[in-house]
Amino acid sequence: MLALLFILFAAMAVGSALAMVAQRNPLYSAISLIGVFISLACLYVMLAAPFIAAVQVIVYAGAIMVLVVFVIMLLNVEQEERRRKRLKFLVPTAVVLAAILIAEVAFILATVQDFRGSPTEGDIAVGVTHSIGPALFTQYLLPFEITSILLLMAIVGAMTLARRGGLLPPNARVIPGAQQLPLSLVDPRAEPDDLRPVETNTTEEAARLLEK
Amino acid sequence: MDTAIDIALKFAAITVAFVVVLLIVAYTVLAERRVLGLIQGRLGPNRVGYGGMLQPFADLLKFILKEDIVPDKSTRFVYFLAPVIATMAALMTMIVYPFGPEIRIPFTSITIPLVIARFDVGLLYVLGVTSVGVYGIALAGWSSNNKYSLMGGLRSAAQMISYELALGLSLIGVIMLAGTLDLAQIVELQSGWHGFRWFIFFQPLGFIIYLTAAIAETNRVPFDLPEAETELVAGFHTEYSAMKFALFFLAEYINMLTVSMLATTLFLGGWNVPFADLLPGGRGTFLFGLVSAIGFLLKIVFFLFIYIWLRGTLPRFRFDQLMNFGWKILLPLALFSLFITATVIFFWPNI
Repeated sequence: MLALLFILFAAMAVGSALAMVAQRNPLYSAISLIGVFISLACLYVMLAAPFIAAVQVIVYAGAIMVLVVFVIMLLNVEQEERRRKRLKFLVPTAVVLAAILIAEVAFILATVQDFRGSPTEGDIAVGVTHSIGPALFTQYLLPFEITSILLLMAIVGAMTLARRGGLLPPNARVIPGAQQLPLSLVDPRAEPDDLRPVETNTTEEAARLLEK
Repeated sequence: MDTAIDIALKFAAITVAFVVVLLIVAYTVLAERRVLGLIQGRLGPNRVGYGGMLQPFADLLKFILKEDIVPDKSTRFVYFLAPVIATMAALMTMIVYPFGPEIRIPFTSITIPLVIARFDVGLLYVLGVTSVGVYGIALAGWSSNNKYSLMGGLRSAAQMISYELALGLSLIGVIMLAGTLDLAQIVELQSGWHGFRWFIFFQPLGFIIYLTAAIAETNRVPFDLPEAETELVAGFHTEYSAMKFALFFLAEYINMLTVSMLATTLFLGGWNVPFADLLPGGRGTFLFGLVSAIGFLLKIVFFLFIYIWLRGTLPRFRFDQLMNFGWKILLPLALFSLFITATVIFFWPNI
């Protein structure tokens, strides 16, 4: 029974992964990747790690991939053309990486003899919420905190980089409804072809400016 | 052999649960139309069956018989997939809620728990599955090849990501009080004080934040911008007709039910009915189980009524107001509530 389920979920994971690489349409690739994450979550459940499975779905399938799909939808990325001129170094790199992977699998198959060692109580308790919480906040507190700060820095960094350059000055606030209007439209005293942009932060502000 | 019987029983239980959920949804739709009629000073549908009781089935028949129109330039596969994802994600959460205590079947010694699946991480399972549901709406918007649909899908994705944070943070207070993610255990913990030790009394702010964020997550008034009919025709499901539209409709109402069930389970004591343990026989009897299950149902009905009431009362947010409210008011409030809870638990761990 368990073996059947494993084969089912493993096949789903591998199939989705292959589909992700093979698809030309970026949105289909994204959907396939979601399929990979969900199949992996099912495998985690089978490995008696329900917490990791749930987090896998919430974080990867539920949050990160939503952003990816969001961006693909927003930019409306067209179906990628079949590129004739590939990056030259990719093929040898792929061959080397595949060789390393096969070598790893062969090594594991050769050295690990006992597949059927039954798990002990301690093994089973690893993936459960009650064992993850204490471990995260006692033994692994420092790595946990460092990771948190790293993520925070990444967020701040992303915002700083996104604000630098582009249309907005560094001190501009980014608010939904913000728009730029040409000066000639806002100010009647300006030259009729003066297209210098005027920032408005909200739709209300834009409407007020236009009324003047 | 025993496992085979177990699996068959689980399948049967899940089927029954789905049928019950669909019935509740059908009558929620009817109740919504009748109550809205009441609020707006008109009658609402009252002709099919006694007081309109057969209206949901008439609607269903209409949905099935209507022509199913597929837009010519839609992305076929995704267009068909989207309503399936939305409905499946909504239905899948229905199995983890404990709707009653363990009961002993009369005249036998068999005790059964009134919950279909009990997980160690039941709460996370609900959050995970519902967070997958957003793809249904986003993909529907994208695949319809219609700018209104796309806008609806984008709005929905942005809104759900924004409000998920406040929603998750408002639940952490309850998790800290309970010390577990197992929904059945969370309900058990609220059975003190003659079944009145509900977590809403310890987490009033968390409850309000949860309810607000959850209404936004389900795309209902006043947060129904993804389907704002004054701006976007019908939003993400503009191009959907007949049964595929019905599936989105179904998903929305099941999500409302999910929110009501989760709010009941986490904040209003789940199946705990005040002073039900003073009934003859005390806890564990069939009578106690029945009263508890009815109490659970009534609490859900209460939340569903709040949904309908809000729809009849409140106007819609504007999109920038919605984002400002989510990020600048709800999220800091949720953090504040979390901070207070953590401080109190730190100094008085036995509360």
